[in-house]
Amino acid sequence: MSEAANDTMSTSEQPIVCEIHHLWTEFDKLVVHRNLDLTLRKGEVMALVGGSGSGKTTLLRHIIGLTQPSSGQIKLFGYVLGKLNRDQQRQLRNRFGMLFQHGALFSALNVFDNIAFPLRELHQFDEDTIHLLVMHKLALVELEPEHAQLLPAQLSGGMIKRVALARALVLEPELLFLDEPTAGLDPDRSEAFVELIQNLRRQLGLTVLFITHDVATLSALADRVAVLADQHIVANCPIEALGKVDHPFVRNFFHSVKQHLARLN
Amino acid sequence: MTDAAFRVHREQDNPPRVVLSGDWSLRQTKGHFARLREQLAPLFADPQLRWDLREVERLDSAAGAMLLQGWQYTLGDRVLLRPEQAEQLATLAALPRRDSLEQPPITLRDMLKGAWCYYFDFIRHLVDFVMLVGALVLEIGYLFRKPRQIPWKEISANIYKGGVMALPVTALVGFMIGIAMSYLMALQLRKFGADIFIINILGMSIIREFGPILMAVLVAGRSGSAMTAQIGVMRVTEEIDALAAMGISRVLRLVLPKVVGLVAVAPLLVFWTSCWALLGAMLAAKLQLGISFDFFIEYLPRAVKPVNLTLAMLKALMFGLLIALVACHFGLRIKPNTESLSSSTTASVVVAITVVILVDAVFAILTRSIGL
Ligand SMILES: Nc1ncnc2c1ncn2[C@@H]1O[C@H](COP(=O)(O)OP(=O)(O)OP(=O)(O)O)[C@@H](O)[C@H]1O
Ligand SMILES: [Mg+2]
Repeated sequence: MSEAANDTMSTSEQPIVCEIHHLWTEFDKLVVHRNLDLTLRKGEVMALVGGSGSGKTTLLRHIIGLTQPSSGQIKLFGYVLGKLNRDQQRQLRNRFGMLFQHGALFSALNVFDNIAFPLRELHQFDEDTIHLLVMHKLALVELEPEHAQLLPAQLSGGMIKRVALARALVLEPELLFLDEPTAGLDPDRSEAFVELIQNLRRQLGLTVLFITHDVATLSALADRVAVLADQHIVANCPIEALGKVDHPFVRNFFHSVKQHLARLN
Repeated sequence: MTDAAFRVHREQDNPPRVVLSGDWSLRQTKGHFARLREQLAPLFADPQLRWDLREVERLDSAAGAMLLQGWQYTLGDRVLLRPEQAEQLATLAALPRRDSLEQPPITLRDMLKGAWCYYFDFIRHLVDFVMLVGALVLEIGYLFRKPRQIPWKEISANIYKGGVMALPVTALVGFMIGIAMSYLMALQLRKFGADIFIINILGMSIIREFGPILMAVLVAGRSGSAMTAQIGVMRVTEEIDALAAMGISRVLRLVLPKVVGLVAVAPLLVFWTSCWALLGAMLAAKLQLGISFDFFIEYLPRAVKPVNLTLAMLKALMFGLLIALVACHFGLRIKPNTESLSSSTTASVVVAITVVILVDAVFAILTRSIGL
């Protein structure tokens, strides 16, 4: 696909993976996004922060094509998702993984089948390989093989998150969208999550856009922070540069980040 | 990066080598992993071959798993790897394999156990059902002491949903059945010159049998399934737990209004359905046999004694009660997943209709001497 063209470009200016232009979202009278622009480059780990109800999840749903914005354009890997035919859409969707805020596991399937689901849909692997890959992903998210037979209703909140993450990772995507990946995880597990993403990034060159309220995860993982407030992106910069942005939400947010970093030292 | 590829090297002194190169990852090779494996299959079968992965640019777990499975999960010294690849494959090789978790074959014992489970399940259903009825009776007793707690709003909502909203469909189906029955009977009766008896036959069968059964089948399909699904979704989304946490009885808030609502509307719905069925019968009788509306209406009370209507109303009350109870029973047993939701909803409708017909048969035998 676009990879061939990308490789010829200079490495300092990485190709754009996800591009949002003049996005507006309105629910009846409520304007959630007003003329929002955002660009995500290959290899970046970007955190999307913003107050509760500021429209982060809605933005993510637009990006992966679950909902249509009122106006504006979204390109993934250089393509507008809605303009592709069915097979191309499917191919494009296989290139990114999505972790939903509430897991969105298939409630009738057990953990194993949930994770194996995307693999089986590919029709490329036999059951032995699928089993090995599922076990691998389970180990990545620190779940035991015994957990494979449990149904989603029998899992704890944090386990649901980890299974959902395993499912998002199973097709080895180059782009990951994570909606609050560490909400509901204990600090140890959050740290393990950070390490997992960093490892994957090193091994496979991952691009990540994640929503979080967790300052620790954010400061450990994010290259850039995009702040969604007042219906658009008010800041999009490395975390240290946030201090220069003059906006009440960003100021408060940066303050708590600084406090966290100070506590660490 | 280049596509995943392999070639076989045959040098003079060394044993032959398979050299893999390119990007061995799902990202690049999404569409043809299966083909690659097929092409490699004969090479996997040859234990003499050596494998050289050092030229591979990227190796992800999917490709690693596929290769590892080809090598029967052992690496040995016939595989040449870069250190990080060795580490990656060693991690994969250490994972539990499929056969180590595989279930033993089914024995006679398991089958007997399965049958016992079915039986046990049936008993559990009965016990749960009786307990539900008991809980309902207790709640009604509680409401007598604390009438302010009666959930009027829910009851009224259920009367609207289960009764008012069901009026069009019951009327339509009743009317159609009335016409169909009347036409068929008319053809038969005319053969014997017994035209007039169409009023006896249709009046009796519609008022005493078809009205209540039609209503029950339609209501079980409409309201019964809706009740089961509603309670089931509330279980899936933990709303029932939220109710319990607030100290609100689910029987009082969920089951009682449904039962009371359906019991209240069932007789009315039966009356309504029977009226429309009789209307259809009248219309067809007029067209087919020339029996006038006036005569039909005048003769009907003489042909069908009023006690039959009482029996029909009694049946309606029973059917309404049974349908609502069965629906709630299955709804409350739903486990929090979609599969259980769909199977319980199906079971609810099937069991409700079966039970209604069963009860109807018993009732018909018990009341065989009344109102004929
Ligand atoms: N389908 C919808 N119809 C109407 N309003 C909606 C819909 N979906 C979201 N909203 C509204 O859009 C706003 C943004 O919702 P969104 O779920 O994106 O918030 P969020 O930033 O993800 O918040 P949180 O951090 O709490 O998850 C909210 O005010 C919500 O009420
Ligand atoms: Mg959200």
